[in-house]
Amino acid sequence: MIKTSNLTKKYGDFTALENLNIEIKEGEILCLLGANGAGKSTTINLLLNFIAPTSGSAYINGLDVTKHPKKTKPYLTYIPENLMLYPTLTAIENLDYFLGIGGKSFSKTELRSFLGQAGLQEEAFEKRVQYFSKGMRQKVGIALAIAKEAKVLLLDEPTSGLDPKSSNEFGELLKNMKLANVAMLMATHDIFRAKEIGTHIGIMKEGVLKHHFLNDDITLQDLEKVYLETMTVNEEAL
Amino acid sequence: MIFYIIKKELKEIFRDGRFRISAGIVLLLAIIAFFITFKQYKNTTLQYDEAKKSERRVWESQGEKNPHSAAHYGNYVFKPKSPLSLIDQGVDKYTGISVFLEAHSRNEAGYSDAADQTALSRFGELTPDFILLYIIPLILILIGYNTFSKEIEGNTSFILKSQGVTGWKLVIGKWLAVLIPSVTITTILFVTAGIVLSNMDNYGLFEWKEICFLYLVYLLYYLIFTNIVLFISSLVKKSGISLVINLVFWVLACFVAPKVASDLADTRYPYPTHQEFNEQIAEENKKGLDGHDPWSDKAQQLKAEMLKKHKVDSLHKLPFNFNAYLMQKSEEHQAEVFAKHYSILKQQAKKQDDVYKSLASISPFLPTRFLSMAIANTDYQSHWDFSEAAEEYRVDVQRFLNGTTEKNSKYGERYVAPADTWKKLKEFEYVSPTFKEVFKQNTSIFLILVLWFVISSIVLFFTNKTY
Repeated sequence: MIKTSNLTKKYGDFTALENLNIEIKEGEILCLLGANGAGKSTTINLLLNFIAPTSGSAYINGLDVTKHPKKTKPYLTYIPENLMLYPTLTAIENLDYFLGIGGKSFSKTELRSFLGQAGLQEEAFEKRVQYFSKGMRQKVGIALAIAKEAKVLLLDEPTSGLDPKSSNEFGELLKNMKLANVAMLMATHDIFRAKEIGTHIGIMKEGVLKHHFLNDDITLQDLEKVYLETMTVNEEAL
Repeated sequence: MIFYIIKKELKEIFRDGRFRISAGIVLLLAIIAFFITFKQYKNTTLQYDEAKKSERRVWESQGEKNPHSAAHYGNYVFKPKSPLSLIDQGVDKYTGISVFLEAHSRNEAGYSDAADQTALSRFGELTPDFILLYIIPLILILIGYNTFSKEIEGNTSFILKSQGVTGWKLVIGKWLAVLIPSVTITTILFVTAGIVLSNMDNYGLFEWKEICFLYLVYLLYYLIFTNIVLFISSLVKKSGISLVINLVFWVLACFVAPKVASDLADTRYPYPTHQEFNEQIAEENKKGLDGHDPWSDKAQQLKAEMLKKHKVDSLHKLPFNFNAYLMQKSEEHQAEVFAKHYSILKQQAKKQDDVYKSLASISPFLPTRFLSMAIANTDYQSHWDFSEAAEEYRVDVQRFLNGTTEKNSKYGERYVAPADTWKKLKEFEYVSPTFKEVFKQNTSIFLILVLWFVISSIVLFFTNKTY
């Protein structure tokens, strides 16, 4: 579903991403860990074709995202760190709009059902989203993925800033999406959440994927140890 | 996709309190402006009708009188109000709508509305054209200044892009959404004006095609403004900056450009002062025949020519009244002098107009203003047209009066025309230029407006690379 082949992004002399090769299949979640500037968001932006790669390719459902930018969009849903919606529209209206511009039309009952499946409380359906918390807005994003029957979910630090309860709820939603065979790439700082929901875990540093584990092959303690070691190697050298 | 974009944009616009308040105020102002202008239009047209009838009644009831005395007694002619002046009063308010016609003199139109008003009228009036030309573009700015910048500020542009939104469809959707409220207000105004005018009797010749064309002109104006507003919004990332740039554009286009154009035209082709102009005419009149001075060289020369032509030795033996003939020849000379000097003035006005119109390319306001006044028959050209028709009629009146004396009396006699003479003079009927004539005169201006639309559309649709 998601594949990159020697994906590289450079800004002048600065290399934001170097030769990234990953593959995420249906029902798999790759959680990318790393400090700010490690290249996690760059990877997502390249998969969304928001930026063009310097070299290499990125594929969604077998389609090269730079060659078929419009064709890849119906397969994916993107949830940024701070999902912003139109504040004067209700949750249903926002969902209806984003689905509409993606070429999908649903009845109000169906829209309510999607929001319900995403865990949004019913009384919030008709409320303007200007009054929504970040967690509630993320749920509208998940509802969008459910309604679109998205095969790919790209999440850029979706749980940062969420309270533990909301973060846990969000994790549960992603697990449900995994059961629905959605391929997910999640950039995060949260080692605990990555270990909890990821099928694969990667550690990135300075644009390079330093480690790539199967979740079952590593314990939380070892993951934390490897992560900290990876992050401190250069600092010690200095 | 476009439908979803329009629906969402309109929801946002109508849920915005600022828009609801301002649109409500504009609609209220438009209704008030329309009502005030309609009342003025109805009153002026009634007054025109009454004045015209009363003037004719006075003319016809002069009784037995010498025709030249009647010529000096004079009469007024009035410019009828054009039906579309209900929408655009143009320069009518300043140029005056009546001309006093008398012997030996070509008078300017007088009794303008502006002359009857206090100095406060300098601040302008609440008229439909004010709403259409100045206020509705402001509403377009208010609705559209943050159309694109709000997506960047609100971080919604990323999720939009991730949904695969097509750039041109997004622009079309937003463009239509910005236009719909303003076009609705304009349509209501024009349809109301059309229905009111088409149901009024004796209020001038109203034609739907004229009002439809006027509507098209304003529609083009709003399309251009919308293109520019959205273009600015797509260029800048902050809504506040977009609002300021848009307002600066509005001030430049609607207030500064007309002043600059007007000053430039006036500096390049200045009018003579009233005093200079009258002195030049008086000077040249002196060189020709004077109907009141039979002893002048020119009069003596004419006398000799007539005696020779009719092979008689005395003016008494001529088959017509020589004094009346002299008077008519003098009138013809004066009419030629007036025609010559007014023609120079008109040429100067035309040059000014050309400069003014050539500057129509600096602001979409200018071609819209010109076309609006031209279609409504309230522009300066229409004023000239009326002035010339009045002068033509004045020359005809003098010919009729001098001819009456010439034919019915002999030299030396004091002719008194019978009371029914005055009824024989045909009434002044001013017919405004037809829509076809007006359009022909203003084709270049219309093309400039169309060009504004085409270029601004290209700029908006082909430079928008945000999505």
